Amino acid sequence: SFTGLANQTFCTVLLYKNSPSLKTRESEDIQQQIIRETFHLVSKRDENVCNFLEGGLLIGGSDNKLIYRHYATLYFVFCVDSSESELGILDLIQVFVETLDKCFENVCELDLIFHVDKVHNILAEMVMGGMVLETNMNEIVTQIDAQNKLEKSETFIFQSPRQDR
Amino acid sequence: TQAISLQAPPTQRLASTFVLAAPIAGKSKEAEIKRINKELANIRSKFKGDKALDGYSKKKYVCKLLFIFLLGHDIDFGHMEAVNLLSSNKYTEKQIGYLFISVLVNSNSELIRLINNAIKNDLASRNPTFMCLALHCIANVGSREMAEAFASEIPRILVAGDTMDSVKQSAALCLLRLYKTSPDLVPMGEWTSRVVHLLNDQHMGVVTAAVSLITCLCKKNPDDFKTCVSLAVSRLSRIVSSASTDLQDYTYYFVPAPWLSVKLLRLLQCYPPPEDAAVKGRLVECLETVLNKAQEPPKSKKVQHSNAKNAILFEAISLIIHYDSEPNLLVRACNQLGQFLQHRETNLRYLALESMCTLASSEFSHEAVKTHIETVINALKVRGVGPLRGQERKGLDVRAGGGAWMSGYSLEREVVAILAEKYAVDYSWYVDTILNLIRIAGDYVSEEVWYRVIQIVINRDDVQGYAAKTVFEALQAPACHENMVKVGGYILGEFGNLIAGDPRSSPLVQFNLLHSKFHLCSVATRALLLSTYIKFINLFPETKATIQEVLRSDSQIRNADVELQQRAVEYLKLSSIASTDVLATVLEEMPPFPERESSILAKLKKKKGPGAGSELDDGKKEPGAEINGGMEPSASTSTPSPSADLLGLRAAPPASLAAPTSAGNLLVDVFSDSPAAAPGLAPGTDENFLRFVCKNNGVLFENQLLQIGVKSEFRQNLGRMYLFYGNKTSVQFQSFTPTRLPQLNIQTKAVDPLVEGGAQVQQVLNIECLSDFTLAPLINIKFRYGGTLQNITLKLPITLNKFFQATEMQSQDFFQRWKQLSLPQQESQKIFKANHPMDPEVTKAKLLGFGSALLDKVDPNPDNFVGAGIIQTKSLQVGCLLRLEPNAQAQMYRLTLRTSKEAVSRHLCELLSEQF
Repeated sequence: SFTGLANQTFCTVLLYKNSPSLKTRESEDIQQQIIRETFHLVSKRDENVCNFLEGGLLIGGSDNKLIYRHYATLYFVFCVDSSESELGILDLIQVFVETLDKCFENVCELDLIFHVDKVHNILAEMVMGGMVLETNMNEIVTQIDAQNKLEKSETFIFQSPRQDR
Repeated sequence: TQAISLQAPPTQRLASTFVLAAPIAGKSKEAEIKRINKELANIRSKFKGDKALDGYSKKKYVCKLLFIFLLGHDIDFGHMEAVNLLSSNKYTEKQIGYLFISVLVNSNSELIRLINNAIKNDLASRNPTFMCLALHCIANVGSREMAEAFASEIPRILVAGDTMDSVKQSAALCLLRLYKTSPDLVPMGEWTSRVVHLLNDQHMGVVTAAVSLITCLCKKNPDDFKTCVSLAVSRLSRIVSSASTDLQDYTYYFVPAPWLSVKLLRLLQCYPPPEDAAVKGRLVECLETVLNKAQEPPKSKKVQHSNAKNAILFEAISLIIHYDSEPNLLVRACNQLGQFLQHRETNLRYLALESMCTLASSEFSHEAVKTHIETVINALKVRGVGPLRGQERKGLDVRAGGGAWMSGYSLEREVVAILAEKYAVDYSWYVDTILNLIRIAGDYVSEEVWYRVIQIVINRDDVQGYAAKTVFEALQAPACHENMVKVGGYILGEFGNLIAGDPRSSPLVQFNLLHSKFHLCSVATRALLLSTYIKFINLFPETKATIQEVLRSDSQIRNADVELQQRAVEYLKLSSIASTDVLATVLEEMPPFPERESSILAKLKKKKGPGAGSELDDGKKEPGAEINGGMEPSASTSTPSPSADLLGLRAAPPASLAAPTSAGNLLVDVFSDSPAAAPGLAPGTDENFLRFVCKNNGVLFENQLLQIGVKSEFRQNLGRMYLFYGNKTSVQFQSFTPTRLPQLNIQTKAVDPLVEGGAQVQQVLNIECLSDFTLAPLINIKFRYGGTLQNITLKLPITLNKFFQATEMQSQDFFQRWKQLSLPQQESQKIFKANHPMDPEVTKAKLLGFGSALLDKVDPNPDNFVGAGIIQTKSLQVGCLLRLEPNAQAQMYRLTLRTSKEAVSRHLCELLSEQF
């Protein structure tokens, strides 16, 4: 299972892999191929077709599905196995985007590019090892805020002259 | 409609960002690579430098590496630094370390031991943030080594009383991940009962994670988790009956806890209906509430609201279908699906079809489902002409181009087919439905569907006349789908006599009708039609003369396709020498098929119904399947069977074969068209053959005795080929006879039957390309060397691209033509790995050798190759455009061909893609 983001020129901006199977079994080349093919497929689809694609061999067979949503210039693609509800995942993508919007205050594409780590943190609060972890946006935002606070405090400590090694 | 639109980039952020502005600022790929290489060199020197880096810098550089990796570049260092970050006691450093490890470290890396150590420390730290980081890392890497190290530790964390909620949540999913990768390493035990009680947890997030875990665990150990059913029901009931505000944060667009509800309903699908009447009553109540809510006016117009509501509804329907015991609920579920089938949201239609599929196997829903079959077929009709057309094509494109991707639309056809069969009361209605299906959406009807309709017709004599009449009428359409021709050919061949009494469908009329389609069909269909013709000779002696004439014509008896030629020759002979009795015996009506499970259904079952994956379910169905005659035995292992040939000419089946146990009657192998039927090719032929796609001269074959050289030239649709047979031995070859396996368009003279030792003889072949083709002609060489007969069969290096005439054109013309060829079937695309070093000069030479012109300055990307040309054949000219995009970094190519003819696009794409 993985999550991917692509912009409209179809070059992948980011890919998050939350599934071990993607890493252990397949080389990075195949990952690249998956990315290319996925976005090739997804970007070609009309607006009025359904948002689910049944899995091919590349993403681990028919047990896996691609579920995507298209926002302005970005595609959000989740690859999940059959234990997840399709509509549920569509909603999860929405929660993800809404959360990004809260955390970045009017999120834009560049936020996602330049704050890979933050985006990843947010996603990690929601999805873990390819499985849905948390769906409550307030909970997610609270966690992220707590992390940001920690980060700030650590940066502060670091900048003070006493803290140096 | 979206709540959020991602806005244009605020430029001021550019200045403050830390790494690579180049790709985003729209600079070229080279600039990006240059920039990245510089950055990598810098980081490498920092890591290698004598000065020990502080945590902050280490974090910074590791983060940069990660980013570079995510941009698609290779990273081969920095792993050690990342591992070091794990033992930092600063959250930010630790976190980047874990992130890097999760994304970049391979599970069999040597670093795993160090990583595991760091994780162990964090798990024991009692700091919830650190524990969560560690758990995430385990789940994301999820390797066997990880499972070995932590599988027994995590259940403890999960059920410990003092574990924080967020940690519990992560621990549950982490355990699930480990269980999925290495189930043997996760010990069941006392903790399982405590996990079940997490269903009562206050924290909804914990419950959601726990349900996911239990759903997976209980499939293997249903008894250990049995108690979860009643807990799940009561939890579900509380959610479903709660007001939309009760659950606060877990209410999503006015729907209380949709994800948890879905998960609970999934969990319940792992078990049979609850035995306890009270629990069952409560559950039925829940399901009714869910169905009722679907009818209520929406609380919000937002798509999120209806999405969440429907997600629950679909799961509830799945559960109802799974239980298959509440007729009332089933009817309601079915009506609901019927509504969705007509919904304008494609997502809902797709899911509804999927559910219909599972419903097809339920027992109580006959009448209710039947009323909706019309809806399904209507949906299809609308789609056949409406704006959704593109969608189907997308679905198919995806499958053809993208490598086994599926979309729901083949499924749709299958649903119709299954439903139609299952609920068919009289079979004439079934025949109508399926023929309709083929007419409307022939391309998308799988083989199974039309095999099945033939099986049904053959097995039921009450519909045979009707079927013959119906197909006869369907074939009247000027353009009818090839699948229709197949069904028509088969059915008329068997039962055409039933309608022959009517002068409007007299035998000759039937024959002429079928034969009018013949030339438009593929080889497989033509082969089938030839068999129909010989059956006609048996059924209607008055057609004999006409049909023999057809069989005798050059286009049959000298057909380039071996299979067709063979059939024509054999049938012609059979019809002229066999007595009427023999003919009648050989061409006996097909015996009934052994009654067996619909192959479509079997296929679907293999695909497994959504959610119904529990073993309980399978167990229930198997005995039934056996009574029905069991699944098909694999086709190839069947009896020495009358299979290879439609009529079993070579092993004429006596009528007694009707014994229903004969497995040889599977239509599947009856129709196996066998391009491989060509005589065994000499080893290595194919690779050698491929080398000639882009060149004309060279050594085609060589062994210890014989060398065959080729020189050839082609102009427009004509070609001349010189074959040089060299005797490498010192002994004479006798009876040297190279025979081209009959191909209409090649003329040659025989060569001298004696080839002296060390001598070379030459043979000239004059070639004319009549129309486009995919199979290369074969040549067979026989000779005696010493006492033994040598027999070699080779493919002649004549491929379609030899008749390529290069065409120069301007960029503008090219793009205009490219756009004109935008139908999906006109394009063929392949993405493939480079098999040879990616040298642009070599590529250029190959493309020129392939025959196309190379156009400069057409593609904006100078690395790409663009070519154009015309395939010249006698009957038609096919314009071809091609584009080859190398990706040196990934060592891959993408090749796109667009021509005005589908088969040509596909074939050229296949040929060319083997060359790089």
